[in-house]
Amino acid sequence: MNTQFDSLQQFWEMAGHGPYVWTAVLVSLAVLGWLLIRPVQQQRANLQSIVRQSQREQVQQAAAAGLSKEDK
Amino acid sequence: MASGRNWNWFHRMGSPRWFYETTGRWLPWLWVLTLGLMLTGLVWGLAFAPQDAKQGNSFRIIYLHVPASFLALAGYYLMAIAGAIGLIWKMKLSYMVMKSAAPIGAALTFIALFTGAVWGKPTWGTYWVWDARITSMLILLFLYLGVLALQYAFHSQETGNKASAILALVGTVNIPIIYKSVDWWYTLHQPATIKFTSAPSMHPDMFQPLLVMIVAMYSFYALALILHTRVEILRRERKASWVRELALQAEPGGVAQ
Repeated sequence: MNTQFDSLQQFWEMAGHGPYVWTAVLVSLAVLGWLLIRPVQQQRANLQSIVRQSQREQVQQAAAAGLSKEDK
Repeated sequence: MASGRNWNWFHRMGSPRWFYETTGRWLPWLWVLTLGLMLTGLVWGLAFAPQDAKQGNSFRIIYLHVPASFLALAGYYLMAIAGAIGLIWKMKLSYMVMKSAAPIGAALTFIALFTGAVWGKPTWGTYWVWDARITSMLILLFLYLGVLALQYAFHSQETGNKASAILALVGTVNIPIIYKSVDWWYTLHQPATIKFTSAPSMHPDMFQPLLVMIVAMYSFYALALILHTRVEILRRERKASWVRELALQAEPGGVAQ
């Protein structure tokens, strides 16, 4: 099976239809990529914020425990 | 308790934790499958498929336009069914799937409309016409955005879920109209290239890469839906102990603020 184009230049120009085809391809891929990258980033941020919160709570619990000891 | 045992799978499927752990095992495979199929289909369609006798190279836009349109429609059914399951069985996970399907469907509908417009210019001489197919697809975009907007319109998540699900269900009326629009109002948009009832009106050399792209888009959809639903699960279940353990495993050191 052979490509339909003799050179990269021809592939890019597509006999005059290049601007239409490549605009459609690049915009579509950008949107599809965004649909995958965004949840991956959000998931990371979620996990980090859950860890931070549980660390904060541990510190608070430790402080509260320390205070109640001093009371005695 | 035989009947109880029969329903176990249903309850397990409704558990966010079960969903999170099971899909976690599938994810690496889905990534490889999606990216592999997408790359194969695109290179095949853009560089190797013969050009169309009438439309020349502009027809290559079909390799994104048709798969995106397919999934924009199939995704709407999925969203509406997830909403219905949420309404009937009050399944939390089902609502999370419904919410996740909305932005993905909106993005795919946008791709269908955008690639259609860019394709229309060299083929019809115009970017946009108020043709029945195009107009009903634009309504589909607004339905997706409406379902998404309702999620944020109420203080109570429960009310938002119900409102979104009802809009999604009412909107299903639009889907058969989209399918039939090219036959009922024979205007500018060409009839469907692929029908279940007859052979495709396309040469096999052009059709095979399209088939690869359609399978690639289904795989992409599954991947995107799973990723979005997992974000939603962590967000809504962040107080649950299994989520805390999971977070500590994934990000052991925590992070400096």
